[in-house]
Amino acid sequence: MKNKKFSKTHYDYLNKYRAKKLLVLLTQISILLLFLFAWEYLTKYEIISSFFFSSPSKIVKTIGQLFKSGELILHSKITLSETLIGFAIATGIGFVVAFVLWYSDFLRRVLEPYLVVLNSLPKIALGPIIIIWFGAGSKAIVFMCILIVIIVTIMNILNSFTSCDKQLIALAKSLGANKMQIFFKLILPNSLKDIVATLKINVGLSWIGAIMGEYLVSKAGLGYLLIYGGQVFNLNLVMTATVVLCILASVMYFAVALFEKLMQKLYQ
Amino acid sequence: MQDLVKIQDLSLIYQSIDSETTALSDINLTIRKQEFVSIVGPSGCGKTTILSLVAGLLKPTTGKITILDKTPNPKDDLAGYMFQRDNLLPWRTIEKNIYFGLEIKHKKTHDRKAFALSLAEKYGLKDFLKKHPSELSGGMRQRVALIRTLALQPELLLLDEPFSALDYQTRLELCDHIYEIIKKEKKTAILVTHDIFEAITMSDTIYVLSARPGTIKAIHQPKFDKNLTPFERRKTEKAKELFDIIWQEIQNEKQKIQ
Repeated sequence: MKNKKFSKTHYDYLNKYRAKKLLVLLTQISILLLFLFAWEYLTKYEIISSFFFSSPSKIVKTIGQLFKSGELILHSKITLSETLIGFAIATGIGFVVAFVLWYSDFLRRVLEPYLVVLNSLPKIALGPIIIIWFGAGSKAIVFMCILIVIIVTIMNILNSFTSCDKQLIALAKSLGANKMQIFFKLILPNSLKDIVATLKINVGLSWIGAIMGEYLVSKAGLGYLLIYGGQVFNLNLVMTATVVLCILASVMYFAVALFEKLMQKLYQ
Repeated sequence: MQDLVKIQDLSLIYQSIDSETTALSDINLTIRKQEFVSIVGPSGCGKTTILSLVAGLLKPTTGKITILDKTPNPKDDLAGYMFQRDNLLPWRTIEKNIYFGLEIKHKKTHDRKAFALSLAEKYGLKDFLKKHPSELSGGMRQRVALIRTLALQPELLLLDEPFSALDYQTRLELCDHIYEIIKKEKKTAILVTHDIFEAITMSDTIYVLSARPGTIKAIHQPKFDKNLTPFERRKTEKAKELFDIIWQEIQNEKQKIQ
């Protein structure tokens, strides 16, 4: 395809398409720059209070200081590891539970109301219980993270498993397929898109879980920095932690998006 | 020719929470090897149920079905089921779709694959093997579905209204194609259809079922010149006469329900 000669109209079309794409990107960058510039300008001349709103330059400075003292890496590492562990365990167990519930119609019917109740329960309400059970440490935070992620994972993936086209299953049955064959040849490839979508949702949820856990109990981590910064009225610290959080969450999201592309290639 | 399928005193009762429904009663029939049989009848008379029973997907309430003296079982290779929809897996290429049955039955050997590919080539799908189902027309997709079924080398093909989801033009074309393929490959077939002309022009024997509970109401054995395609048969007087007779038979049954 690459060496193929296209007609002039096709080149025109391609150029227009590229121009549009470039315009979107430029606008996106301009908005960011404009926002940062306005923020910096307004706080520099104290049109808005730099104490309450911090400023981009102060945030950069704080990041530099935290990096030098090693605190940035320390706190990021702690929160990131809590998030990743929570994400992995919740997604893994959630997937297995969804599979078991898909496999056993009986269990699915028995457990359905429990899942509905667990799903609507605000997990943060279990905070005190979790602290008592797991102590005031990383374990409790990871558990909070798992709790927040797992129910949604089970419900989304199970929903996807059970929504496979009945006609395709009828075909497999007419060929004498057993349940495991139906799962691996039909259900799983059919659900890949939904599973990846669930992973994307889980990225967000596991960060919520980890930060919420750190709000409850922690001696270190980005959530701890946020709470600590708020308590001592150090808005620079709060903003800095937020920015770092933003960056880390985006990186994780893009990793999942990359994984999605890989899977698509594998199944095409 | 040898007998392939025997159905004796067959009945089937569906159970549901509100009621039980007798779908079929007292069905007796024998199908010879390489015979093309059609089943027609009013809606809900249990046509598709017969296919499910012969495929071994349902167990008869009373009576007996055998294919080559064996009880039907989907794990065997005796019968191949073809649905109204092609049921191709959208994420697989045409080639991999053709292998689907072989995979399920753990028979994806070199020979079987080569056989399946030779069928695809013979029936005009060679250039489409690497494409995905969404890139093919409805008629082509249904042909892929037939080849997927034939790849398992079944004795008997169970055709559950395989043309009804297609537009009229494609339907007539594919009817000829599939008829030709079935004859060339020397297969036995049971076709369930709403289209009386389809039944007349393709079959050696037509069974007309009564309204529920389905029983055999009439049997017709249209005799056409073997060299005519189904499409050419449609235009003959004989086909038109038989159409009127079967139409009336089904109409009478419909009135019984109302």
